[in-house]
Amino acid sequence: MYLKLDRVRKEYDGKVAVNSLSLEVPRGVIYGIIGPNGAGKTTTIRMIMNITVPDSGQVLFEGKPIGPDFKNRVGYLPEERGLYKKMTLEEVIVYMAELKGADRATILPRIDPWLQRMDLGAYRLRKVEELSKGMAQKLQFITTVIHEPEIVILDELFSGLDPVNTELVKNILLDIKQSGRTILFSTHVMEQAEKLCDHVCMIAGGEKVLDGRLSEAKARFGTNSMQLVIDGNGRFIGTLPGVKQMTEFNNYIEVVMNDGADSNAILRAVAEQVTVLRFEVVEPSLYNIFIRLAGGKTEQTVDDAEVAGA
Amino acid sequence: MHKFWVIFKREYAQVVHKRSFIIGVLLTPVLMAGFTLLPMLLADTGLSEPQSLVILDQSNMGVGEDLRAKLADSKLDDSGRPLYDIRSVVALDPLDAAAYNRLYDSLAAAINDEKLKYFVVIRPEPQASDTGLFAVSNSTNFRALRAIEDAASDLLSSVRLQESSINLGVDSVLNLTRRLDLQIRDAKGESMPFEYKYFGAIIFVMLMFGMIIGYGQLVMRSVIEEKGSRIMEVLVSSVSPLQLMLGKILGLGAATFTQVAIWVVLGAVLYVFRASMSVDPSIDRILFNPVIIVSFVLFLVSGYLMYSTLFALLGSIVNSEKEAQSFVFPITMSLVLPMMVGISIVQEPNSTLALVLSYIPLFTPTMMIMRVIFIAPTLTEYSLFSGIVAQAALGFLLVCVTTAGIIWLTARIFRIGILMYGKRPTLPEIVKWVRYQ
Repeated sequence: MYLKLDRVRKEYDGKVAVNSLSLEVPRGVIYGIIGPNGAGKTTTIRMIMNITVPDSGQVLFEGKPIGPDFKNRVGYLPEERGLYKKMTLEEVIVYMAELKGADRATILPRIDPWLQRMDLGAYRLRKVEELSKGMAQKLQFITTVIHEPEIVILDELFSGLDPVNTELVKNILLDIKQSGRTILFSTHVMEQAEKLCDHVCMIAGGEKVLDGRLSEAKARFGTNSMQLVIDGNGRFIGTLPGVKQMTEFNNYIEVVMNDGADSNAILRAVAEQVTVLRFEVVEPSLYNIFIRLAGGKTEQTVDDAEVAGA
Repeated sequence: MHKFWVIFKREYAQVVHKRSFIIGVLLTPVLMAGFTLLPMLLADTGLSEPQSLVILDQSNMGVGEDLRAKLADSKLDDSGRPLYDIRSVVALDPLDAAAYNRLYDSLAAAINDEKLKYFVVIRPEPQASDTGLFAVSNSTNFRALRAIEDAASDLLSSVRLQESSINLGVDSVLNLTRRLDLQIRDAKGESMPFEYKYFGAIIFVMLMFGMIIGYGQLVMRSVIEEKGSRIMEVLVSSVSPLQLMLGKILGLGAATFTQVAIWVVLGAVLYVFRASMSVDPSIDRILFNPVIIVSFVLFLVSGYLMYSTLFALLGSIVNSEKEAQSFVFPITMSLVLPMMVGISIVQEPNSTLALVLSYIPLFTPTMMIMRVIFIAPTLTEYSLFSGIVAQAALGFLLVCVTTAGIIWLTARIFRIGILMYGKRPTLPEIVKWVRYQ
């Protein structure tokens, strides 16, 4: 296995942040660590980066404990971002790449294409402090990948990115995957993870609740879900017979049915009270799977997920 | 070690490529010399015009008029203007206390109103006691008072001589009993004005202090910046904390060294051309003394390493510069110490106190250079194994050993501290970090 966590555990002041977490990241995939705020995602990533040392368990890269050579092969974007304000973009990019063992001469010709792709073409010789927050985020993303690391690790990848930039970054990640390299990222935004990941690992309260290929995970939870778009108040749907669970996003509603329930019967019952604009029997969303798995576990963290996911 | 150089280069360039660096290099010696020499020059030429003076004479034997005549010989400067502008000599009846008091009060008032600088009171029988003649003034200019003292001493001596039975003539007696102005020569048989050593010491110590504190705090700020902006996480994922710490300290240290190297080169140029500049040989012996220059460079480098490592330690455990300030103060104080105990060191550079203080590693760089400046110029020969050179060498060794210890300790705290945000760690926590793994 390419990257493997073997029963890692980390405590802070007696509070367990990550509890006996094991996961396996194959080469060449996009791997998402998903969970609400405070679930232990950042602690997990910091242990992979060898910034935090696990209390027990170990992190293995290509079968060996993380060593100094890992540092040159990885690109890391931490959750909290920051760069040297007084340096120019070019200086920052070259410096960060040199710290990853890359040569100045290799990096210099790559700078313009990257800046242009990120809409920062005019800023090469400007100082970092002149950039807006969104621009600085994009610059930091460039510094994470410009040395072409074979594994890219991104903590809370999408935080602070607007939809346009999210799209931009997503395309770059897909390109990186195309070239056979590996991406591991964490997020609490389930919808984005769902669109991007091959593999997921869901954690809540420091423990893994699910991992594996996304398609397999969804299949395991069957096709007992339906999505509805209605016009009107759909609150009543949760009380209909055959409905196990309902999640309401304004007019968009996701329903998980009891085993053996009749989806047509539920549709009829809904149509009696409100106008149904769209109806579809689907695989459950990642969000729904998460609610079902972690729902009872930690109410507080699930609330966070709801806010983030909606 | 490649990554160490990457960090080293950036830290170095951050300082040296700034315009302020060149300005600092050129301006610092000028400012230092200015600040130390200015008071000396001001004290020397404190008098720019004749000093107003009134003489109040109760002696009833013309001492006042004699004093006026004698003081007229004192000149203000080469232009021949008198030192004193003697407004009047008032002779009073020695028995008329009321008139004396009235006049005294009005003259005292004139002094407070700055209408008059000095008045001299000659009491009845002034030759009989040491308080028979005194001056009143708000000013304490040494030269002006010295002139009155000399003139009055001569006058009263001659009055006493006339009353006695010695019959040699006033002038010859004064000549026979004149005071000796003790000249102090050093072992080389030369006399070096005390001020030169003192101000030489102040300049060198101030330079050392300024550079160690200045560049040391740059190390601290650089760590705090990377901590505060969270660049630290990326850095630590790329390099080891030890590489980062040493890269910073040595990179900024190289900037310090560049600055000193420029000064040494400037000094060498001065040295070559000094013959044509008629430099006082005493200054020559301080500024171009090999023992002083070598000591200065060695203690600056070792002192910088010791203190900047402490500053790196400090930067790694705090979250902001504001939080660091309360810790910066004691560090600064330990460097300023020699200036505070300076007067004692200056008088007895070989005293036990001076010796002990100069062997306490944190004080060594500044204390030892101060002692070197006071002792080295007067040496006839240098030996690495005795005297001040041996002491300086031992001090240097102590600083090096201490620095190695501080670097080890800091490295252990630094690697954890730089990734700790929020609450500042307590001492027991820091001790735990040191022991960790």
